[in-house]
Amino acid sequence: MPPLLEAIQISFLAMIVIFLVLGILIGVIKVLVHFLPYTEEPVPPARTQSPVAATGASQEEEHIAAIHAVLAHHLGKAPQDIHIQHITSL
Amino acid sequence: MNFQDAINKILHSTGFATIEPGQGLMIVISLVLLYLAIWKKFEPLLLLPIGFGCLLANLPLSLMANTDEGGLFNFFYYGVKHQILPPLIFLGVGALTDFGPLLANPSTLLLGAAAQIGVYTTLIGAVALGFSLQEASAIGIIGGADGPTSIFLAAKLAPHLLAPIAIAAYSYMSLVPLIQPPIMRLLTTEKERQVKMEQLKPISQTVKIIFPIASTVIIVLMLPGVAPLIGMLMLGNLFRECGVTARLHETSQTHLINIVTILLALAVGSSMTAATFLTWSTIKIIILGLAAFCVATAGGVLFGKLMYVISKGKVNPLIGSAGVSAVPMAARVSQKVGQETDKSNFLLMHAMGPNVAGVIGSAVAAGVFLSLFGSGDAGAGHTAIEALKTITASLGQ
Repeated sequence: MPPLLEAIQISFLAMIVIFLVLGILIGVIKVLVHFLPYTEEPVPPARTQSPVAATGASQEEEHIAAIHAVLAHHLGKAPQDIHIQHITSL
Repeated sequence: MNFQDAINKILHSTGFATIEPGQGLMIVISLVLLYLAIWKKFEPLLLLPIGFGCLLANLPLSLMANTDEGGLFNFFYYGVKHQILPPLIFLGVGALTDFGPLLANPSTLLLGAAAQIGVYTTLIGAVALGFSLQEASAIGIIGGADGPTSIFLAAKLAPHLLAPIAIAAYSYMSLVPLIQPPIMRLLTTEKERQVKMEQLKPISQTVKIIFPIASTVIIVLMLPGVAPLIGMLMLGNLFRECGVTARLHETSQTHLINIVTILLALAVGSSMTAATFLTWSTIKIIILGLAAFCVATAGGVLFGKLMYVISKGKVNPLIGSAGVSAVPMAARVSQKVGQETDKSNFLLMHAMGPNVAGVIGSAVAAGVFLSLFGSGDAGAGHTAIEALKTITASLGQ
């Protein structure tokens, strides 16, 4: 058989083998993914903060957020347009 | 001994007295490789040690060519000749590779298969240019765009062509960002390039652990010749995914792959002597290598277009070009060409599927060649025994 014809035959055969092998792998992956689906890791329960345990800092942040919202509503502005720079306790 | 004789003897013991034009030309070629690596940053991790190995091998009387018995690189070359170093590179590649995108969209494996068309058209071209079938197979695998696979197959089927094949493979791999985009643009329409693919689904860790084991069993049962490559690739990936071998994973993906890259590249560089490299075959291989890359890219993109039609526009054909392996550069090219049309289109993770499939596909293509033309010493065990016998014999002398 002429070498060129042999090369064409080999190429044709080899492509079939490659598609066959990788086709089998596709089947294996599909079976694996079907029987072993992804499940989300259980999220650890969030730590609840009791009012007593709340720190002074987080309380202050809550107060700033509340003041921010009220001021924005009162002045009729968007919250991002108001910048609280300084807070002094009375 | 008079003064004149002493001067003559010293002059004749230097390399200047024995340097030949071919060696001079190879030294220039080695300097070009060093220039490309250092200043143009073309695959510097490989081209730099290859260039330096070539430089040393061609300096007269240095005994640094791979064929110089007792020379340093002669020992390094054992690792290439007996297929030890390319599989160790694959171990590192496996440790670095995330098969997640491939597992999330397994049909992209077909793109990795389609891109292997470059290997076989080059095989036909090489036979037409007068190479034997074994030589043509080793040349054709350049189209797989996978350096270790090219070296592995060349060392088995055409060791005399190892140097030009390795140089062509690594040079064209570094030129992927220049070679691929024009072909990709030529073969796709703007509408096809704009396709935004669905987000990949997450894959369970158990599947990621089972996949390397299952694929090793299937591929090695079908193509035993490729066991060293696929076995090491999947072992490296198992180190990564199993979660209980952090130290082995870390070593495989960093220090081991770096050390083996140095040894492999120096061994390949040392095989670039004037006698083996300055031939018409080298020029033919360089041309065939370029053709292999172009056809492989076109094959991937055209199969991507087919998937675009079958999926009713859900697959962007640009990811097909990543099927040529060259991880991760080919995937980055898909991303870049996609964003030329639509800046908000992110194809990188989708292209990683065919890109990883290309690694498996080129290894499978090499396995087919070994099944057809290999000497029957398919498994690693035989080659390891052969290597041990050779080393024992050389120690006994």
